[in-house]
Amino acid sequence: MRTIARWITAAALALGATFACTPAVAQDQQQEVAKLTGFWLTTPHPELAIRPGETETIPLTLRNDNLPPQRASLEVTGVPEGWAWSLRGGNREISAVIVAPDATQEINLELTPPEGASGERVPINVKARYANQTADLPLVVKLSEAAEGGLELKSELPALRGTASSTFSFKIEATNDGAEENLFSLAANVPDGFQSRFKRGYGSEEITGLPIEAGASENVTLEVTPPRSAPAGRYPVVVEVAGGGASATTELSIEVTGQPDVTLTGPQERLSGQAEAGKEASFPFALANNGSAPATDIELSASPPSGWKVEFEPVRVDLIAPDATRQVNVRITPSEKAIAGDYMVSVRASGGPVSESAQFRVTVNTSTIWGMAGLGVIATAVLVLGLAVMRYGRR
Amino acid sequence: MRREGSPFKGTATIAFKEAADHMTSARMHLIMLLVLLTAIAAVYGAIGRITETTAEDPFLFLKLLTEAREPLPSFAALLGFLLPLVAIALVFDAVNGEYARRTMSRLLAQPIYRDAVLFGKFLGGLLVIAIALLTLWLLMTGLGILFLGLPPSAADIVRGVAYLAATLAYAGVWLALAIAFSTLIRSPATSALAALSVWLVLAVFWDMIAPLLASVLAPIDPLDPMTVVTQFETQQAVSRFSPQTLYGEITGMLLNPAARSVGPLFFDQVQGAIAGAPLPTLQSLLVVWPQLAGLVAAMILLFTLAYVVFQRQEVRA
Repeated sequence: MRTIARWITAAALALGATFACTPAVAQDQQQEVAKLTGFWLTTPHPELAIRPGETETIPLTLRNDNLPPQRASLEVTGVPEGWAWSLRGGNREISAVIVAPDATQEINLELTPPEGASGERVPINVKARYANQTADLPLVVKLSEAAEGGLELKSELPALRGTASSTFSFKIEATNDGAEENLFSLAANVPDGFQSRFKRGYGSEEITGLPIEAGASENVTLEVTPPRSAPAGRYPVVVEVAGGGASATTELSIEVTGQPDVTLTGPQERLSGQAEAGKEASFPFALANNGSAPATDIELSASPPSGWKVEFEPVRVDLIAPDATRQVNVRITPSEKAIAGDYMVSVRASGGPVSESAQFRVTVNTSTIWGMAGLGVIATAVLVLGLAVMRYGRR
Repeated sequence: MRREGSPFKGTATIAFKEAADHMTSARMHLIMLLVLLTAIAAVYGAIGRITETTAEDPFLFLKLLTEAREPLPSFAALLGFLLPLVAIALVFDAVNGEYARRTMSRLLAQPIYRDAVLFGKFLGGLLVIAIALLTLWLLMTGLGILFLGLPPSAADIVRGVAYLAATLAYAGVWLALAIAFSTLIRSPATSALAALSVWLVLAVFWDMIAPLLASVLAPIDPLDPMTVVTQFETQQAVSRFSPQTLYGEITGMLLNPAARSVGPLFFDQVQGAIAGAPLPTLQSLLVVWPQLAGLVAAMILLFTLAYVVFQRQEVRA
């Protein structure tokens, strides 16, 4: 038994050694592959769709690996009759390229199919002749009427709800599916009186346009502020992003919920009045609803100084429509013992979301009864003097 | 037998003659010099305090009259103290002086009634005091304008004039009192002393007498807190028999627009009240109107007393 076990162990060790050698060998082989030698003509998208009437740019890459500088003359075949095409490099029309060793040369093939051109698959062949060999690049161009999937808009939360005083902010993700980076302009179509602002991501700068790289996406925040007077309801907001021949729209919606906004104003918009101690004085107050929803069940109350009486007529207002005003008579009776001068009476209107208060300043006037009494005292004294003159006068 | 004509014929003549005599008398010059010097000192001190401590005040010229700088009292307090002296000095010998100089029969030999003599003497004294007060007030206001560099506001002037009128009524009370003593008492020196002692009692000692009287009239029951209030009110009522107290209350209300009451205030009266808000002048006047009416009535009644006594006197001695 023992001998067998020893054998197995020895075999396993030998196998392990063999396998341990293998990765090193593989690495060497890969390095060999990386040091490929040759000359290639490539493009990232050998089969592509283009639109008639528009110039399409197809990037071509010439690569020279491990060879002396190569001069390659270029040749395009298979372009249908009537199509315009040109090879451009460094903003010039070219027909030959020299590629240095271990370098890459980028050139563009510009294709312009005429308006109305059709064809399912148009094979176009690009050849680069170098030394005495040829690098071949077959392209297949498809003609499509539909817009190339250039731009896509996606809104995270397309419908928002809030009051007329809130700011609605929409997060929109714009993805550029086109082949090139482009500057896209942003526009929001909002109802009259609404204000809109575009911001990039969570940034604070207002923007009107945004560059998006090919295949990348950007976050745009759209902030919409409704006017304070906006009546309750649903409002559509259409966002349009356009640029580089592509455009996309997305529809968002805002729901403004109504809110009553009640203000309490004193007689003739003043918050002061005059009263006499112990005597009732009536002040016409006005309850105005400047909000966008009716205010209901508004109860009126007051916190007067002690000994004072404040009555309302009516005590409770059932309904005030938006932009409507209701008159409320406030009857204030200062205490009998109130001294002359100013007192503060706070008047409140509350009910549901409404809570409004006004500080009303009541100037208490002294009763003129004592003035009359004083005059009476003086008159009596004068009368006594007069009687004395009548009785004892003229001596 | 009833005689013909108005009993007041010749009153104006006597009043103006009396006023002219006062104006030129050394007695008047001396006492007015005293008043003027102390008043100027008081107002000068007040100006100093105001420029040091007051940033802004809508009633700066009223403050001029109430602000005091140690050791001098304020202008208003000074007038309240000195005016009775001026009034007594003017007329303490109005009637008995004529007897002493043996000029009364000569005076009554003129074609006038006795009524006109007493009315003329009283009105003459009042006229002199009115002129002196007005001059004094204008002088103080002028000093204020000069040193503060501000004109008085309309409210300042209205309240100032009301204060002057109240001061005149206060002086009139003492004038009537001094005339009454001068008719009642034959010797001028005695009548002067009598008037001065009444003044001393009412101006200086009355503040001590009033609490004593109140504690007798309304004793405090330790179990009933309201008796404290009752006693305080009794004390206030007693102290209001003194013209000095009435005048003090009038001055306090008229010269301090923020003052709202002269009596004690309960908490429920003050709750909700806005402190420091100035009262309209008319409201301030209405608050102290009973005091003012009391002063005027006291003046008229004291004068009536003097009048009745004088009319019944034998003048041919």
